[in-house]
Amino acid sequence: MVSLAEDVAIVAFEQTPSYAHFNDSEPAMIMPCVNSVIEQVGMDRHDIDFTIAGSCDYLSGMPFAFVMNIDAVGAWPPVYESHVEMDGAWALFEGFVRLQSGDIDTVLVSGSGKCSPGSYREGFSLQSDPYVHAPIGLDPRTQAGFQAQALIAAGKATEQDFAEVVARSHANAKNNPYAQLSGDLSVDGLLAEPYVQQPLRSHDCPPTSDGAAAMIIARADKARELCDNPVWIRGIDHRIDSHHPTLRDLTDSPSVRIAAERVGLHDGPVDIAELTVTYSPEEIILRDALGLNGGTSVNPSGGPLTGSPFMAVGLTRVIELARGIRNGDGRRGVAHASSGPALQQNLLCVLEGDS
Amino acid sequence: MPQLHDVDYTLEYPYTRTTGPVIGPFLTGLRDGRILGQRCGEQVLCPPMEFDPDSFATLEPDLVEVGPGGEVVNWTWVAEPSAKHPFDRPFGFAFIKLDGADTALVHAVDTGGDAGAMSTGMRVQAQFRDERHGSIADVYFVPEADAAEQVIGQGDEPVTITEHLIGLRIAEPLYPHRARFAQGLLDGKIIGQRSPVTGKVYVPGRGYDNMSRVLMSEADEVEVSDVGTVVAFTELNPVQYYGQTETEPYVRCSILFDGTDQPVIGIDIRDMTVDEMRVGMRMRCIWRDPEERSVEDIDNRYGNIPETVYARFEPTGEPDVPADELKEHSW
Repeated sequence: MVSLAEDVAIVAFEQTPSYAHFNDSEPAMIMPCVNSVIEQVGMDRHDIDFTIAGSCDYLSGMPFAFVMNIDAVGAWPPVYESHVEMDGAWALFEGFVRLQSGDIDTVLVSGSGKCSPGSYREGFSLQSDPYVHAPIGLDPRTQAGFQAQALIAAGKATEQDFAEVVARSHANAKNNPYAQLSGDLSVDGLLAEPYVQQPLRSHDCPPTSDGAAAMIIARADKARELCDNPVWIRGIDHRIDSHHPTLRDLTDSPSVRIAAERVGLHDGPVDIAELTVTYSPEEIILRDALGLNGGTSVNPSGGPLTGSPFMAVGLTRVIELARGIRNGDGRRGVAHASSGPALQQNLLCVLEGDS
Repeated sequence: MPQLHDVDYTLEYPYTRTTGPVIGPFLTGLRDGRILGQRCGEQVLCPPMEFDPDSFATLEPDLVEVGPGGEVVNWTWVAEPSAKHPFDRPFGFAFIKLDGADTALVHAVDTGGDAGAMSTGMRVQAQFRDERHGSIADVYFVPEADAAEQVIGQGDEPVTITEHLIGLRIAEPLYPHRARFAQGLLDGKIIGQRSPVTGKVYVPGRGYDNMSRVLMSEADEVEVSDVGTVVAFTELNPVQYYGQTETEPYVRCSILFDGTDQPVIGIDIRDMTVDEMRVGMRMRCIWRDPEERSVEDIDNRYGNIPETVYARFEPTGEPDVPADELKEHSW
């Protein structure tokens, strides 16, 4: 594991519910989250040293939409600010790296996305290769279908396994007030549903969601000053597999394996894993690549299958894990965020409670 | 009477990309009815790449024809095609290992809508579209038994540029505060929002005060004057970019309406020249007749006071406001 120059902790976090449709602007969705985290630590907005957000203009449907989002974080008088065209989990990564310099104490991180006005299948097909994939509309759901088929062909999973992931996720979400979908589903009933992307059914795919999330992270001394129960970031790493799906083994995730090694995942117990399972087969791949066993509670929040506001959903995994640790559901765990199709890019973040 | 409507538009960007020494010949081949792979040691890569995917070493262009037949090595069935897919009826996407290639190409297989025709190991064959542009979409695949003979002559110049028009449809209701603002314009009123924290009035309201970071609602809305002061102006000389509808120079200005704290930007002036405009000039809105007003150009992101609601803005003849008093609003 890589040693860190500065210990960093999460001191405040907030998320919106996962909305099927939020009928107002993205800044109006983010603003209550930002106000909440500032209030939690009792800081003045302008005493926060650095601000960074993650969002996607293609989802927002406007060039430079991310600039408008700054309305929600408070930009006047001018603040020191940055943006990633990625999920908010990558904004957290940049904020974490920024704190390693040791010259600033606090970072405000946010992530937001509204999928409901557009088509994420069409928008995110533009992440694929611009010469040989994007012109035929190769979308993330299709790539998830390939991944599912590859798992079945390799004998690593069945459609029943996918349905069991869905049923467990929805059951877990019954305890999550932020979830968009929840309930008791029978595996047999799920398997009787028609395919939308054979071998995937509608419930194997994420709902269309709008949502936002925000957190404040701080260097060690400041973290202890700002709150009684900081949640420590013990490791964070981002790894990438080929963007050509035919050039990798879709039934495995080498990038997750490398990231898990880099964050020292198994240097301690893994009580909770909050994983970006956007399509149900991904949980099977992630459990295997992370080396999780029965001792780990996987997606106790229900995960993205029960609410998937793209660009906030990865940061929300970190928040759900931090909440679980604060609530005493576990002492140490891992949050996973994903970008690109079929788990092409993966970010892992290990959190630990105050000891 | 004119009415409000839901937002429905398509955000488009025309992308042009150079093709380089490997993709260029590949796309040229597709236009000419041939599929090319790139040699990489003992292997042939299709789709071709400029580098060895294992070592990342640069590959000298060395292309060889593959296909047109091949084998499906992975597939998934698209029950509901998106607007960006090659077919508007259900079809299969497949990893296709073309005869003579060692890697697989992702492409669409048309089985006439029959998912049951797809299987791993099935034989497929390339079919070329009648209209080809040097794009991966020039080709598609069918079960080998359904393939038609095609005779395609060589085209002219090599493909060095590929064009891709990105279009993303955005459809949603007007946000509640946008709907009330737009309805106000149809009624000949300019509706603003007054911050409950600072008392400042914003036009149009955004549903929040971004200075104080507080949400605002209908309770915070006020009708403001349709008389105001020019705080900025410019002459636009329309550049003919994709989607441009303007051809002649015109004036665009920002007006700070009386009793407000934020100018309305993007007000177009057609009956005055830039030489007749002054910062500080007092202007009044002359509305169109109610039945001639339209707010079609107002969506949730763009549109302040569009020309479709006013006939013109005309100078009131009052003395100018000193520019120094407007410096907080010059945008």
